[in-house]
Amino acid sequence: MEEIYDVVVIGGGMAGLGAAIRLAKEGCHVAVVSRGDPILCLSTGCIDVLASGENPLNGIANLPPQHPYHLVSAEFIKEALAYFLNEIALGGLPYVGSPEENRHVLTPLGVGKTTCLVPETMAASTAEKESRIHVISFAGLKDFYPSYIMARIPATDLSVYEAGPVSTMFLATQFETDEFLERFLNWLKGTDITADRIAIPAVLGWMRALEIKRMIEEETKRPVFEIPTLPPSVAGIRLHRTLKRRALDLGIQFYLGKPIETVEMAGHLVEAVTLESMGRPTRVNGNAFILATGSFVSGGLLSQREGVTEGVFRLPVFYPPDRATWFGENFFPPEHPIEDAGVLVDEEFRPRAVEIDNLFVAGSILAYARVLRYGCGHGMAIVTGQAAASSCLKYLKVAAQGDTCSRTV
Amino acid sequence: MFQNCIRCTVCVENCPVFAVNPLFPGPKQAGPDAQRFRLDGEATVDNWVKYCSQCRRCQNACPYGVNCADIILRAQMKHEELKLLTRRMFARVHALGRVASFLAPLVNFFSRQRWVLRLLERAGVSTAIPFPPYQFRTLELGWRNISAFLGRREKKVALFYGCFLNFNRPDLGRKIRNLLLYLGYEVVLPPQTCCGLPALGNYDEELARRYAKKNISLLTPYVDAGYDVVYTCTSCGLTLTHDYPGLLNMEGGRKIAENTYYIYDYLLNTLDRDFLASLWGPLDMKVAYHIPCHLKALGIGYPLREILLQIPSLKSFVRDENCCGLSGSYGFKKENEKTSQTIGKLAAETLQNTGAQVIISDCGACRMQLGHLTGLPALDPIEIILSSLLTAGNRLSFYHLLTGAASYRAK
Repeated sequence: MEEIYDVVVIGGGMAGLGAAIRLAKEGCHVAVVSRGDPILCLSTGCIDVLASGENPLNGIANLPPQHPYHLVSAEFIKEALAYFLNEIALGGLPYVGSPEENRHVLTPLGVGKTTCLVPETMAASTAEKESRIHVISFAGLKDFYPSYIMARIPATDLSVYEAGPVSTMFLATQFETDEFLERFLNWLKGTDITADRIAIPAVLGWMRALEIKRMIEEETKRPVFEIPTLPPSVAGIRLHRTLKRRALDLGIQFYLGKPIETVEMAGHLVEAVTLESMGRPTRVNGNAFILATGSFVSGGLLSQREGVTEGVFRLPVFYPPDRATWFGENFFPPEHPIEDAGVLVDEEFRPRAVEIDNLFVAGSILAYARVLRYGCGHGMAIVTGQAAASSCLKYLKVAAQGDTCSRTV
Repeated sequence: MFQNCIRCTVCVENCPVFAVNPLFPGPKQAGPDAQRFRLDGEATVDNWVKYCSQCRRCQNACPYGVNCADIILRAQMKHEELKLLTRRMFARVHALGRVASFLAPLVNFFSRQRWVLRLLERAGVSTAIPFPPYQFRTLELGWRNISAFLGRREKKVALFYGCFLNFNRPDLGRKIRNLLLYLGYEVVLPPQTCCGLPALGNYDEELARRYAKKNISLLTPYVDAGYDVVYTCTSCGLTLTHDYPGLLNMEGGRKIAENTYYIYDYLLNTLDRDFLASLWGPLDMKVAYHIPCHLKALGIGYPLREILLQIPSLKSFVRDENCCGLSGSYGFKKENEKTSQTIGKLAAETLQNTGAQVIISDCGACRMQLGHLTGLPALDPIEIILSSLLTAGNRLSFYHLLTGAASYRAK
């Protein structure tokens, strides 16, 4: 007999994984279906909640009324982000920060990126013009040019470590080996460092970055922080892998790599999705479904000649009807009305204008999210993912009279 | 389908070779990027295609359906300089297995002698991990159609066991057969040859086609007679269900793909869930379960996981983020040894971090590599499953197998 999951989450990014983890912890048997790896692993690894102002929570109150953040209370936002902080720490990748305070993380361009929750390896990051930073770079490292930083922060010192022709991922692998780490620490010992803090591109290993950061701090007696890099982004990969590992440890099943071919409906209920295959398609059955396939980049929304469509359920999509108005004059500031495109949902995160009782929508596929404009990507995904999970759980309890989701984890 | 690539780099982030070998530019450049400059009918000129191990993680990770690994494989097959002697040999592991198992005691003795290993090293073979011993009494020498004697049963399985079980671990093959018999299936071991993956992995398309054609003609009569083809090796399975109808586009390939199942997926889909859950006895142990890349690529989820979750007291940690690095014969080539070992060490560390005492993996090659690198026992899932069955008081005597005893309990 085919397995029937309590919940099938479509999309394995920030919103999908977050929802899946919350549901699994409530005892649900969850499957995640994801066509490919999420954009999450290309990210800086930092969690933006709202990039305007110094206090994201206050800023959210001033967002336009249709913004998905307004579907939940400020209390819920706080709770959801605290939930994330707890889970990611349990996964072995502790994050720091509070939803009531933005911080500025140094980027390879030398400017600060406004963000909220950051991995502990970036906790000491600063982009102040007056700061005295000692940047450690690696000879030949692609897409990391310290002169950008030195041009913007004049008092920056620089040392370059020779590790052969390198990529960020290759360096992360090297840092996992004791010989390389020892050689690097020895070299560091001989380097004259007078600045207040030490900055290193985010390459300090895959699994033990925090441990290595502390070793360098011990050696140099100064705070050390990582600078997130362009993709391949080691910090983004760490975040994705840690969340996935956490999900696997909670008994969540994964169907990866294959697009959804058909959706099976029975009245107002989604019963199953089938995954494309060269032979027999794989069926994934569920009592409830969460759609978290992301926006255009992740393939959740498709822009076609006839208009914007949603790829899995063909849900009605809101988008500015006149193509000529989709884009602003310049890329920055990102004032592009097409960013409003997405699925409209009710307060329970069910798609509007269709009658499907057991489908909930979360993440950047939601209409009016304007992730680029507001700098709210991961934060909004975490919050709406968990909110959709709560609604989904409520639905399951009513539908099965409290009989479902009883697995012990 | 390289046109679909938007150059997002997700494939590169998933490439185990790129993370350890700076000579490989990654699947984006070796795949869709370079493909734009390759012409049909012309030999491939970019030498770095040979570093790709065909783990297919890139393809699986691509959100836009770009088949990077297939693109690279096609380029590898068109590269003239890459048709070396070692590759010719590894493409024919099936024929090698035949000879080696016939001469098993001799081969096993010599493959452990220092001077033989040195000679092999010189010939371009890596000896970083010990060769798996060969068995004289292979699966195919045994009783192929035990069920013919038992009378017809409702569900009929034609087992595709693959070269590794046949030549190296026939004991595991017999265990799997016994489990299926005990659960009430009719089991035959149909005549079969190599799935063709080693030939593909060593750039010999012609040979892969020959194997595929032979297997299709051998298996199709079973499918026509109502048998389900069940495989135990995820790499064989991927070739049967993905490459026969896809990359190789074989006549009759789709029919095989449609009727072919992975063993644990098959059990989950054909047995009653409560019945299956009632079979297991407690196993008080921690296991780290390494997901083989080719299981991931099958797109059927991790079915064994559902069974492990049913076994009382068993704590299992699933890890799917690393490739083991061996990739069939890839890691057995001297030129890939360092790459393969470095990838393997990352995977080994991930498994060791779980604190498990035992490693399991669906794939025999993964187990060889990770068992060697961690020093932990690396078991086939069937070994865990059978010990759980036995602790529950199930008995697997000849009589029980003969009668499909478990199926009566279910009624």
